[in-house]
Amino acid sequence: MISFSRFTLDNGMRVIVHNDNSTPLVAMNLLYDTGSKDEDPSKTGMAHLFEHLMFCGSANIPEYDLPLQLAGGENNAFTNNDITDYYLTIPAGNIETAFWLESDRMLQPAFTQEKLDVQKNVVIEEFKQRYLNQPYGDSMHLLRALAYKVHPYRWPTIGMDISHVAGVTMEDALNFFRTFYSPRRAVLALAGNISPDKAFYLAEKWFGPVNGEIQLARNLPQEPSQNEARDTCVERDVPADALYKAWHVGRRGDSDYYTIDLLTDLLAGGDSGRLYNRLVRELRMFSEINAYITADIEPGLIIMTGKIISGTDLKEAESALNEVIDNLKDKEPAEVEMEKVKNKFESATVLSNTNIMNKALNLSVNELLGDPGLINTEVERYRAVTGRMASEAARKYLDSGNCTTLYYKSSGKK
Amino acid sequence: MGILLRVQPQVEPFNASIPAEPQLMRLSNGAGVYLIDAGTEEVMRTDFIFRAGMITEYLPLLATTTNMMLAEGTLNHNARELSSTLDYYGIFMNLYSEKDIAGLTLYFLNKHAVKALELAGEILFKPVFPGNELDLMMKKRLNWFRISRGKTQNLAMDNFFEAIFGKRHPYGRKVTEADFSNMNCQLLKDFHSMHYSPEDMTIIVSGKINANITGLLEDFYGRLSSEYTYREDTGNVLSESPDKKIRIAKRGSVQSSYRIGCRTINKRHPDYPGLKFLNTLLGGYFGSRLMKNLREEKGYTYGVHSSVSSFDLSGFMVISTDVGRQNAEKAAGEIFSELKRLQDTPPAEEEMEVVRKYMMGEILRMFDGPFSIADSFRSVLDFGLSFDYYHRMAETIKSVTPGEITRLANTYCKPEDMYEIKAG
Repeated sequence: MISFSRFTLDNGMRVIVHNDNSTPLVAMNLLYDTGSKDEDPSKTGMAHLFEHLMFCGSANIPEYDLPLQLAGGENNAFTNNDITDYYLTIPAGNIETAFWLESDRMLQPAFTQEKLDVQKNVVIEEFKQRYLNQPYGDSMHLLRALAYKVHPYRWPTIGMDISHVAGVTMEDALNFFRTFYSPRRAVLALAGNISPDKAFYLAEKWFGPVNGEIQLARNLPQEPSQNEARDTCVERDVPADALYKAWHVGRRGDSDYYTIDLLTDLLAGGDSGRLYNRLVRELRMFSEINAYITADIEPGLIIMTGKIISGTDLKEAESALNEVIDNLKDKEPAEVEMEKVKNKFESATVLSNTNIMNKALNLSVNELLGDPGLINTEVERYRAVTGRMASEAARKYLDSGNCTTLYYKSSGKK
Repeated sequence: MGILLRVQPQVEPFNASIPAEPQLMRLSNGAGVYLIDAGTEEVMRTDFIFRAGMITEYLPLLATTTNMMLAEGTLNHNARELSSTLDYYGIFMNLYSEKDIAGLTLYFLNKHAVKALELAGEILFKPVFPGNELDLMMKKRLNWFRISRGKTQNLAMDNFFEAIFGKRHPYGRKVTEADFSNMNCQLLKDFHSMHYSPEDMTIIVSGKINANITGLLEDFYGRLSSEYTYREDTGNVLSESPDKKIRIAKRGSVQSSYRIGCRTINKRHPDYPGLKFLNTLLGGYFGSRLMKNLREEKGYTYGVHSSVSSFDLSGFMVISTDVGRQNAEKAAGEIFSELKRLQDTPPAEEEMEVVRKYMMGEILRMFDGPFSIADSFRSVLDFGLSFDYYHRMAETIKSVTPGEITRLANTYCKPEDMYEIKAG
């Protein structure tokens, strides 16, 4: 049971505190409700580039990292489709330094044209390192662009293309900040050696004076439902064929979200999952296979990915995969199999809560979803899913008309 | 209150709180046990450690394959039953084999401790190495191997190890496709009986520990003994490549992966904490010289990192980065000039102070929570050291002088000793 207190500042910023005195540290997680879905389609990659710019100095502090390091702190950040998240840990006695640093960059970042140019290069190298210079590195670019026609989830967080990142101007970056980095879009969570009273006092002191623009309602284009199978085939200089599939599902937090999540666990929750048992162990067609739900705030995807063992035909491997899925649609999983995936989920949840950084992140994300208490009640929600519900969800979502397939073929060069 | 009042808060001094050393206990058969009781959640982790890493193998892949095959069938259960039982009880299993050691780590809810320990005993001491499962394992591994050869980072690292430790030593030798057809069940069985002896294992239990844990460990493992203990000397000798500059071409790559480094001292050497300090200052944290120079000033790379690591018989320092091809030579030039600067000019006390504070914070993080303590303990135990190592480290962090950094730079990381591997 993770206890927490919750508070909202007058400027709209939400604050969650979990006190854990077993650690000499405090973890601070500052989540902004903005991600790559908020980008202009001709300037993708902006949200993530902006995350880099947040480390280039702010209104009253020339450099973010130096004072934090001098206070014994360590930090990082990530951006995804939905959120931009800044996190740090610091010795409890120096937590006020973290409030000072984070509130100052919420007030006003102070990057220059020169810093912008350097960070654009850094992000372009990151783009190359993670997506262009890796075997299969462009697979998610290809799959998303086919699965989504209009919704901004059609591009990955790094951006659609390097040219978008290269084209960002000072004005673009400052506009992005003004629109999306307001206290109303921020959730601050603290976990560790700090009392709620102290945390609320410091939040009021440092973040209270920060004013943001009035939050505009999001108006994202809604993805029309997919009624016809889509597929594409690419050839690349990779050693093995690979198969990628995506099916549209609802939002994280929808009533059947937990059912769909368990559905992917039945299929691919480790080496005892159905896909591994059938396609790797028995048929020996795949060397690895995975399935997961994207857990997005807007309607997301179930994604399956697999690498084919050489000598196996890609289409035959796909038919075998489809048979496993059909089997789940036709026959409800037995109680014991349901129990297995639920137990695994419970274990993973408890393990994740052994770390103050995870607790702070989980509290922030759950607050954004509407209820930080989910950190304690999610296991019960998963427990309520039945085998019948899982089969029904498989029939509803894992339909061939709702499916996008990417055949990623080895060009066979030696 | 307002923007004008934004005065920087005072930085409070803090100390690295290194916990008390876990105490050695022995099961009846002599196996060592350490308990680390800490944490707030009802979970435990158990590490089973054996000196069964690559250093003990006479054929490439033998140590890793034996380890990975442990859970692919035992006297009582086949591979499929094992994985569904582990999953049913929500047990997370990690089989690992490194250069020197190998073993098994389990994470589980306290309520499933008995089941977890029972399964661990079966996996570690009653594996049967079925031929059909080995066949599948080698097919999978060959596929993974081919994919990993497509990454310039892996190509560079493999060639780096070969250059500094030699083509024939297990620390250095490269795996080839042919090695994947050399494994057979009997080799694995022999390797297992030689190197996975219950009497010689070390167990570390960490988490919110159940009172009856020692009784359970004794029941499950205390009476086990091994059939034979003869271990042959693999006769491997460390050597170094005569070529310092190695280039590996990779078709179609848009970046070059660099590994620049050399063999050096390991954790047992008194200078090691000082070398760790030097390394942090050079490229071991976000504010390091290399990150500032190559990333934050020039935008050559997404990241550049320097590390010092220990093996049982040696140690090494390596600087790693991935750079767009157009800037590759310039980036390597900057790395060498940073090494030279360390040799020539003592760092300013201001810069030393940032590293001191950052590293003291790291020590706090290394002991935050039961599993971090277990990791920190393991990494000294493997070298026959104790938490005294961390006390010496904390002392060095406080007191090392700029002149000492210059001495260390001129002793352990001279530019002329560096191997420079570039892939892609």
